[in-house]
Amino acid sequence: MSVPFSQMVTVATYVLRQKRRRRTRYPLVLMLEPLFRCNLACAGCGKIQYPAHVLKRHLTVDQCLRAVEECGAPMVSIPGGEPLMYPEIGPLVEALVARKKYVYLCTNAILLKEKLQEGLFTPSKYLSFSVHMDGLRQDHDDAVCREGVFDEAVEGIREALRRGFRVTTNTTLFDNASPMSMQMFFDEMMDLGVEGMMLSPGYSYAKAPDQEHFLRRQKTHELFSKMLSNPKRRWKFNQSPLFLQFLMGKQDFECTPWGNPTYNMFGWQRPCYLLQEGYAATFQELLDTTPWERYGRASGNEKCQDCMVHCGHEPTAVNHTFSSWRGFRDTVVATITGKP
Amino acid sequence: MTSPAPDEAADERPLEGWCPHPSEVPLPEIVDQAFDYRGDVTVLRRGADPIVGYVYNRETGGPAPFLQMFQASDGAALTVPYAEIHTIHFTGRDPAAGKSYEAWLRRKAAGAGV
Repeated sequence: MSVPFSQMVTVATYVLRQKRRRRTRYPLVLMLEPLFRCNLACAGCGKIQYPAHVLKRHLTVDQCLRAVEECGAPMVSIPGGEPLMYPEIGPLVEALVARKKYVYLCTNAILLKEKLQEGLFTPSKYLSFSVHMDGLRQDHDDAVCREGVFDEAVEGIREALRRGFRVTTNTTLFDNASPMSMQMFFDEMMDLGVEGMMLSPGYSYAKAPDQEHFLRRQKTHELFSKMLSNPKRRWKFNQSPLFLQFLMGKQDFECTPWGNPTYNMFGWQRPCYLLQEGYAATFQELLDTTPWERYGRASGNEKCQDCMVHCGHEPTAVNHTFSSWRGFRDTVVATITGKP
Repeated sequence: MTSPAPDEAADERPLEGWCPHPSEVPLPEIVDQAFDYRGDVTVLRRGADPIVGYVYNRETGGPAPFLQMFQASDGAALTVPYAEIHTIHFTGRDPAAGKSYEAWLRRKAAGAGV
C-alpha cells in the first residue's frame, strides 16, 4: 500500500476516536463537488448532464469550507465536474491544506500542466492530484470519449511529479476491461512514478449515457481476481487492501453510504455519492433524516445490488480494520506482503 | 397537451416535452419526475406567473411539501410549496439525450467529432 504513514496515522486516530465516542455513523472522506462543469463528457459519467445555467454555477470557497467544518472528515476528495475549471480551486486547496485535511483533487489532468505552470498549487503531503486514468492509451481515450486525453494526462502527471507533488491515479473499470491490459496499465503508471493507484468498478448511473458496460457483482470478482491474484510488488494501491479483497470476492462488506458524504450546490446528497434521492440542508440533517435502512445490498434495494463502488465500501473496509483483531491482522498482512 | 405517464415507456420516450395534467397524474408523481429530470421545467402556479428552471430537490415529508429550484433567468434559488403548484411542464431540453456511448462510437468510426 502506498498511503503515506502520516495519513495512515491521521485516519487511524480519527477512526479510533469515533469508536471511543461510540459514534456509529461517521464520515471518512468528504466528496466536495464545487461545480458540475467539465471539459469532458465521458460515457460512464452521470454527473454533468445539467442545463447550462446550472453548469455555470459553482460553490463559493466559504460554502466549501463550511461543509468541510460541518462534516469533520479527515480527508476531502474534490471531484466534480472538473475541479481545475473551478475558478477558486487554488484558494480552496490552500485553505484545506492549512486545515490539515488530506486533499485528493480528482482531475482528468487536461488542465493540470497549465495550472501548475501558473503556480496555482504548492506541493504538500496533504495534497494529492488523483488523476483519472481508465486504462492504457486507447482504453482511456475510449472511456472519456475523446482522442488524445491519455497523452495530455500523462504530460500533466509528469509535470506534477517533476514539481514534487503527490500524484495518484483513479481508475473506473467496466465490463470490457481486460485483466492483461490493466496489468500493463499498472506497470505503465508505476513507470511514470505515481505514488499509488485507486481502482473501483463503475456504477450504473441512471443518467450515464452508457448503460451497457457496467460490471455486475460476479464479473467484478472475476475481473479483480484475475488482475490482482498475483500482483507485482511494484504495484502500489492508494486504498484499503481489504477493499481490494472485497472486489476480489475475498471479503463480504455491506455499504456504508454515510462514509463518503457528498456536498454540492444542491446541498448534502442523499443517500450517497452515486444516488440522488434528495438533499439535506445540513450534514447533521443528512445523518438524522436519511432512511439508511433502505440502502445497501442487504436492504434489497435494486439500485444497490450490484454496487461495489469505493465510496460506499472503502469506508466499510477501513471500519473493519479497526473493529476487530482479525480485520487489523488482515490489513497488516496485506500491507506487508503487498498481496490483497 | 397531456401525454401518458413517462414510466410506461421511459426507454423509448424521454420526459422532454411531457405536459402532464394533474387530473391524470398525481402532483407528487409529477414533482418526482421533475426532480429526476436533468433539463429545465416550467412550474405552473395557481394565480401566479410560471417559473422556468431546474428542480434540484423536493421534500415530501412534513405538513407542507415543497420543491426547490434554480430559476433559469437569474439563477435565484426558490422554494415552491406543492400547494401553489398546478402542474409542471417538461419544457427544457434533456441534456442527456443524444449523447449515448453508441453515438460516440458511430462518430468515432466516421472519424469525426471525437
